[in-house]
Amino acid sequence: MTHPGFEAQLDAYLDGELAPVDARELEAHLAQCPECARFRQERLELRAAIKARVPAFQASDALRERVQTALRGASRARAPSRFGAPVVWRSLALAASLAVVALGSWRLALRRGAGERLADAVLTSHIRSLMPGHLTDVPSSDQHTVKPWFNGKLDFSPPVFDFAGRGYPLIGGRLDYVGGRSVAALVYGRRQHLINVLLWPTGRGPTVAPATETRQGYHLLRWTTPAYVYWVVSDLGLAELQDFAQLVQQADSAASGPAAAHGLR
Amino acid sequence: MESSELARFEAVVLPHLDAAYTLARYLTRNEHDAEDVVQDASLRALKYFDGFRGEEGTSARAWLLAIVRNTAFSSRRRQRPDEGMLEFDEAQHSGAVADEHPEAALLRGAAKESLGRALDRLAPEFREVIVLRELEGLSYKEISDVAGVPVGTVMSRLSRARTRLQQALRDEEEGGP
Repeated sequence: MTHPGFEAQLDAYLDGELAPVDARELEAHLAQCPECARFRQERLELRAAIKARVPAFQASDALRERVQTALRGASRARAPSRFGAPVVWRSLALAASLAVVALGSWRLALRRGAGERLADAVLTSHIRSLMPGHLTDVPSSDQHTVKPWFNGKLDFSPPVFDFAGRGYPLIGGRLDYVGGRSVAALVYGRRQHLINVLLWPTGRGPTVAPATETRQGYHLLRWTTPAYVYWVVSDLGLAELQDFAQLVQQADSAASGPAAAHGLR
Repeated sequence: MESSELARFEAVVLPHLDAAYTLARYLTRNEHDAEDVVQDASLRALKYFDGFRGEEGTSARAWLLAIVRNTAFSSRRRQRPDEGMLEFDEAQHSGAVADEHPEAALLRGAAKESLGRALDRLAPEFREVIVLRELEGLSYKEISDVAGVPVGTVMSRLSRARTRLQQALRDEEEGGP
């Protein structure tokens, strides 16, 4: 057997999806570990076998005609499109697959404006994370495990704190994709509630004080520090969530030095 | 909708009909269901075409495949449950693959199973990542968009799915003629 956790890394490497820094580390390991080198060879053989024996199909002419006929019929029957605005297609795709949140996401998808879309994306990320198996990529209450896990997976190293002493234990972290970029997602608990903290670097400079909004029963808080854009989302009561957000802000500004400690109340 | 709009839609989407059919075929595992899914998905795509136009940096191929995927999954829910296949459960399926998994045991028992059949027997969430990567050539990020899961999940699912297929391949060779 290969080393635990190594297989997915090696697959990503063979797929050309590993960050260069991780790839170099992995190549160094491959050079001195016969077992992993053998695993690599097996994967290459599997790939060849799939290529040789698992066919891609072609749509028949009959199917092409059928589709074109249906499209013509539908486009004649339709009045000019009601969907005039840019739509977040990922939300649409998700809505089609998830009956539970379908209605909400439809409405979400039809809203306009970049800020709106970002809030939608953050909320979608939160709801998706609540589905079985989607909460964390690195489940750990240890900030010194979660933080290094992000190394090489993001183009920044997110600050990670544990607030177990204040009643908000760290549950883990995961990668997510929001607003057209990879972001860090940190998950905290409060009794039975889950809190997602999403953050990514900002180039904007000045600190923006927290803003709050409520959608579909979830509260969303966002603010900007000199270094990061922060979003916090949960079904936790607003007062407690604001309390939590303040802990994050204090920890972040303490970590980034006194120069950054402003804009807090 | 104006006919020039339809023509534009056809020019953008129809080149990917083979890819759409291939994905539908592996998700439904049936020629007729796959054709129905492709037709339904094309109509849905036409309806959402304005939305696609608004997004930059998204390939038409990945966009169409996302719709095909969701159409196939919602039609699967309406039809009979998949025979002989375990319900997908990320937690259960996340176990170290080296463990003697019920599914692995099943595969081991059915030696000489062909690779294609092994693929058909994978839970759809595993099957789709293999098809999207190996047959459709999508990047992890595109697969993440299509399947609606984070890139990290794509990476781990793909790896587990490959390990299962590899096991099937091994059994096949051992029990081969």
